[in-house]
Amino acid sequence: MRIGRFSGALPLVLMTVLILAVGAYATVRQDAFLTSFNLNNLLLLTMPLALVTLGQTCALLVGGFDVSVAALMTFCVVVASYTMAYDKSGWALVPGGLVLVAVGLGTGIFNAVIIRVLKLPSIIATLGTFSILEGASLLLRDYPAGPISSDAISGLTKSVSFVPIAFVVVVILAVLGDLLLYRTRTGLAVRAVGLDETSSRRLGMATGRIVFLAFVMCSVMASLAGFYLAAQVQIGSPLIGNFGLESIAAAVLGGASLAGGRGSFVGALLAALFLSLIDNVLPLFHQPTEYSQITIGVLILVALVLYQSPELLSRFRTSRAGVGRLEMGEGEVPAG
Amino acid sequence: MSVPGPARGGGDLSPASPVLTLRGVSKAFGAVQALYDVSVDCRAGEIHALVGENGSGKSTLLGIACGFLVPDEGTVVIGETERRRVSPAESRRLGLGIAYQTYSHVAHLSVAENLFLGAPSDLRPTYGRMGRWAADRLAEFDLDISPTAPTSTLSLAQRQLLEVVKALLPQPKVLLLDEPTTALGPEDVDRLHALVHERSRAGVGIVYVSHRLPEVLGIADRISVLRDGVCQGTFEATSMSEESLVALMIGRPLQLAFPERHEREAEREVRLVVVGLRGDRFGPIDLEVARGEIVGIAGAEGNGQVQFLRALAGAERATGTATCDGTELDSKSPLGPLRAGVVLLSGDRVSESLFPTLSVRANSTIQVLRRLGKLGFLSRRRERRVVDELVRRLGIRAASIEQPVQTLSGGNQQKVSLTRPFLRGNVRVILAEEPTQGVDVAARFDIYGALREKAKEGVATIVKSSDPLELAGLCDRVVVMSRGRIVEEIPGEELGERRIVEAIVGSGAGARTQAATSPEEPE
Repeated sequence: MRIGRFSGALPLVLMTVLILAVGAYATVRQDAFLTSFNLNNLLLLTMPLALVTLGQTCALLVGGFDVSVAALMTFCVVVASYTMAYDKSGWALVPGGLVLVAVGLGTGIFNAVIIRVLKLPSIIATLGTFSILEGASLLLRDYPAGPISSDAISGLTKSVSFVPIAFVVVVILAVLGDLLLYRTRTGLAVRAVGLDETSSRRLGMATGRIVFLAFVMCSVMASLAGFYLAAQVQIGSPLIGNFGLESIAAAVLGGASLAGGRGSFVGALLAALFLSLIDNVLPLFHQPTEYSQITIGVLILVALVLYQSPELLSRFRTSRAGVGRLEMGEGEVPAG
Repeated sequence: MSVPGPARGGGDLSPASPVLTLRGVSKAFGAVQALYDVSVDCRAGEIHALVGENGSGKSTLLGIACGFLVPDEGTVVIGETERRRVSPAESRRLGLGIAYQTYSHVAHLSVAENLFLGAPSDLRPTYGRMGRWAADRLAEFDLDISPTAPTSTLSLAQRQLLEVVKALLPQPKVLLLDEPTTALGPEDVDRLHALVHERSRAGVGIVYVSHRLPEVLGIADRISVLRDGVCQGTFEATSMSEESLVALMIGRPLQLAFPERHEREAEREVRLVVVGLRGDRFGPIDLEVARGEIVGIAGAEGNGQVQFLRALAGAERATGTATCDGTELDSKSPLGPLRAGVVLLSGDRVSESLFPTLSVRANSTIQVLRRLGKLGFLSRRRERRVVDELVRRLGIRAASIEQPVQTLSGGNQQKVSLTRPFLRGNVRVILAEEPTQGVDVAARFDIYGALREKAKEGVATIVKSSDPLELAGLCDRVVVMSRGRIVEEIPGEELGERRIVEAIVGSGAGARTQAATSPEEPE
């Protein structure tokens, strides 16, 4: 238990330390970094990845993957270039926005049905969805066109001082998510399903419903991420970003296990912030962005080894413990 | 047996009214018909045993009763409620508790979290009080387990007891126990039986599935026998004997005889020598095993027996030496002992020795593929020939040798893992951990026969078992372990179930007061 708790907090600590370290270094070396303009920029840059990573964490928690999120985000951008086009403003944007959420909801249900009812592995199922959405995006816009409503963009990116309001909402979401996950029975049930579905069903949990909802949640979050991607590219571009793998990477850096049952929303958010920070800082030092890819790759590997170290250590210890344990009478069954 | 009809009134709640009824239940898994039109009932306050060979459909029947499986035909009646299909959560609400044979723990969660998840909503404390609550429940059942321990760190016996506790938490009206004693030593079996009797006196109907017939005859009021998915009838326990039950189970009378011990040359050649071996939870241990000898390891669960065997096989770290035919074993990894001809048959066959999704054929031949190849390609025909032969010899029951082993019953899985030492050419030592755990009578004797056959070929065998009867019947001599050491040795001529049980019980008390006696080699 002690080890379990420690390994649960490790990703959060590591991400925080890394963010502060990179931030401090950038502050000292570059005057342009610690400006409210740049920080605002950084937080807005984080938004799409942060939202989709929160969603991906849901899928990972129940032991699945959703690789369709990137195509879904792009599809949302393309759809937004029609439903939230440059000529719309104010309340006229609301139905257009709802269309995007509905697209997310529909995709999520579609994925969940394939995975739960047709029993396809989630990685294959969502790969199919990825392709369908990619094609659909190209059908709607075969080249970038259709500016997004500037009213919508300024609404989405509204900030108090340098902090976007939306970012505050995401932080609250992540904290609530972790409270749900680690302080309620529902959260425990979600983790149990991810760890061992058969046992969970035997314990009487609605495993089907939990997995279903997790995938729907994942797609809905991806469609929300689509809003912020639209605010960034500002035009109906059918080009698909690397959000599928990046969201999995961020979720894992934030403590999620690819085998399911482990993860943290706050950790995912911190990791998304960290990855965006690297993207933000390197240009300030006039380094080519290719380095950020390499840095991120190396960091993921280092982090994963580090996260597993408590387990590796304890395994090493038990195999070395020798006879000392016997005195504690451990594993002995008390006499009746 | 209950007959469906409008004449039956529901109001009669005499102690003998059924709390669980299965009506005309059928279930097929692919081509295999697991159950065919089975009807059984369990009355309030009775202990109703369910016996049958491996693959006769006992676990399937329990799975249907608790809602984990959906029957193709037939209905389940729990209390007064009749259902075509129930969910595990609903069956629990209706008053059914079940301890699964293969456990229902989420391994990486703690004991408390597992109990919490398994408790129905009206008994569940708030999330924050979970630890305290779980500790109270464990104390109630007199179980010495830390509520914060991950269930993966518990011993098999502890897990089995925890499974029963979890089933009993919601105060069920009917309790299903699927092989609840396979990992338990004699003392814990007695404790469990006392608990079962107490509940049945309180009016709980108990369905008890076990392979251990003496145990069944000792505890049950009525016994239902399944054979090949068909119910052979329900009988009063007092009218049955071990022989008559076995005859019903296998459809013919069976000689319940252990394989004969073969004559070994007086000048016996020592094959395996263990000197001062010590590791986690055991040691130092000195032991010699001769060619063709079967040595049993007895002892209460958790006294280092498993660790000792695993260390010998290189699956766990240890210091000290073990030599096989004069060559020291390189026990840093399982590869060294394996190359030297030391084969471990793990008790945890599903996760440690078998590839569940692969076929019987693939699981048998996986270590000897090179021998079955032709120019680097596998010869299916050669493979089939040897596997077919083994399937017949060990009596493995499968639709075909291409059937994935995960769809076989537990005992048949065990036999599949036993095929490997038969296929390997150079087996010198077999280390068998609970070789017949969860295996039915007829198959048990197949396995004993197989082990003795290998012994006759000169293989030195060590069998760790929690069943004293098995050790007494199978082994040439038995050593008893307590607190990681060999505290007593019972030579062949003294072997008997009673003698072994006494040695185990005695060693538990003795080890506390005296230093372990050094083992004596018989001449």
